[in-house]
Amino acid sequence: MIKASALYIVIIIALVIGLLCSSLIVAAYLYRIQYQKKFRQDQLENNISSGINILLNSTDTSFTREKTFSLFSNDMDSVFIQKIPWGVYDIGTIKAFAQRDTLFKSFSFANTIDSTKWAALYLIDEDRPFSLSGKTTIRGDAYIPKAGVQAAYIDNKAYEGDKRFIIGTKHNSERKLPSLDEKRLKQFEQYFTQANTGDSTLSKKDSLQNSFLRPTHVFNFKKTAKTIENIYISGNVTLFSDTTLTIDSTAVFKNIQVYARAIIVKSGFHGSCQLFATDSIRVEQNCELSYPSCLGVLRFKSPVVNFQAKVSMGKNVSFSGLIFTYDKMDSQLKPLIIADKNVKITGQVYSHGIVQLNDKSEIDGSVFTSRFWYKNSFTLFENYLINATINSKALSPYYLSSGLLPVSGKKKKVLQWLEAN
Amino acid sequence: MVIIVIVFGIAMMIYTNVLRLSLSVKKLKAQALLQETMLKAELSSENTTQSVTTGDFRIEQEVKPYQDNAGLTEIHLTAFDQNQQKIAELQKVINSKP
Repeated sequence: MIKASALYIVIIIALVIGLLCSSLIVAAYLYRIQYQKKFRQDQLENNISSGINILLNSTDTSFTREKTFSLFSNDMDSVFIQKIPWGVYDIGTIKAFAQRDTLFKSFSFANTIDSTKWAALYLIDEDRPFSLSGKTTIRGDAYIPKAGVQAAYIDNKAYEGDKRFIIGTKHNSERKLPSLDEKRLKQFEQYFTQANTGDSTLSKKDSLQNSFLRPTHVFNFKKTAKTIENIYISGNVTLFSDTTLTIDSTAVFKNIQVYARAIIVKSGFHGSCQLFATDSIRVEQNCELSYPSCLGVLRFKSPVVNFQAKVSMGKNVSFSGLIFTYDKMDSQLKPLIIADKNVKITGQVYSHGIVQLNDKSEIDGSVFTSRFWYKNSFTLFENYLINATINSKALSPYYLSSGLLPVSGKKKKVLQWLEAN
Repeated sequence: MVIIVIVFGIAMMIYTNVLRLSLSVKKLKAQALLQETMLKAELSSENTTQSVTTGDFRIEQEVKPYQDNAGLTEIHLTAFDQNQQKIAELQKVINSKP
């Protein structure tokens, strides 16, 4: 005889078993979905990494236009690669996609240093010696004129540095500096000569950011002298001006590039950007431009009124990256780079003309120049260094150089990760 | 009694199917092993086509230049189990000289 409640018990047991089974199915389903997601993520990351390696090893210009292709001619291995010339460096954008999933990365990249060409100092040979005075230190290999290096007594100061003068190997320099990369110079010439279209006014927002996955946001202020202030500008943004552009200390720039006739960076500015001018760049005191920054004055044609192209840095400026001047006409009035007292430059200085280092100026990296100037109240001394430091050993071993410079090696590496998801 | 037996029967069928179709630890292990081998290959400057046995798996490493670019190497890793069945594979383009 079966109890009357047996059917209820059976139904309850069946319900419990049903619940257990459905939770088992749901757990297995969720686990599988998560696994597939992780598997696709790993595969996309591998593909992104492959894309980065392909871009860093490409020597041609095939990636200057965006290119989408299959890595191994299989499923789920499509990548999108693009290279954007960005001032003295390059920007790479890579996208890997499978089904609805997309991973992207954008980064700047640059060349490693060619140790066979690297030097703390390269001073061209103009048949005259190079003189040091005060507490001057030159650490690293140096290319100096055949006339050699000597101690000098200037401003009541005798030479107090190392007895070897140059702590490193000495080589004879040539009569001309090793040349800059022609392709990159042509690129700059195009930027300065072609008519660049773009917005003529900055938005009134307090920040402007543009991804490198989008087209470049160009602003062209034309002949209006503009002051950029109270704004944060970051990423894929280029500013053009046919006249003077002033950057106030209240503005923050990150990875953007600026092309103008003259640029004034106001005292106290902080940021990392690439500034290019045809006439002059003035960085006022206490500014900090972090790596990878660039200051470049380039002349591709003679100015209407002849005056000296100049990059000047005020007291206590801290700069990390590349400072260079270039004069296509090789005019008599050579471009000038001036570093005031307590200026610290980490990176490279390449001058087609003159470098003027003042008291306690320090360059942790290298200087390639045609001539040095030292000015006191009364006199100008040529090829004299007084109380200055040039130390190539103080430069980080991870420092990467622009392909523009003659010391850059063939190998390219990632300089800075900019965006990723 | 009949209902209980039928319910248990269906439950067992679901359980065995879920177990059969779920991911095997072996596959996950093989994929992790391939990732590790790839990392080692990226750091090494002398990668050659070879077959290595690690634990229960045999890993076949195929190395060839990528699209005639001397600076790039294509590495294709495949993991096989003891029954010589393909468990997982991984392909990547790496720098020839790290």
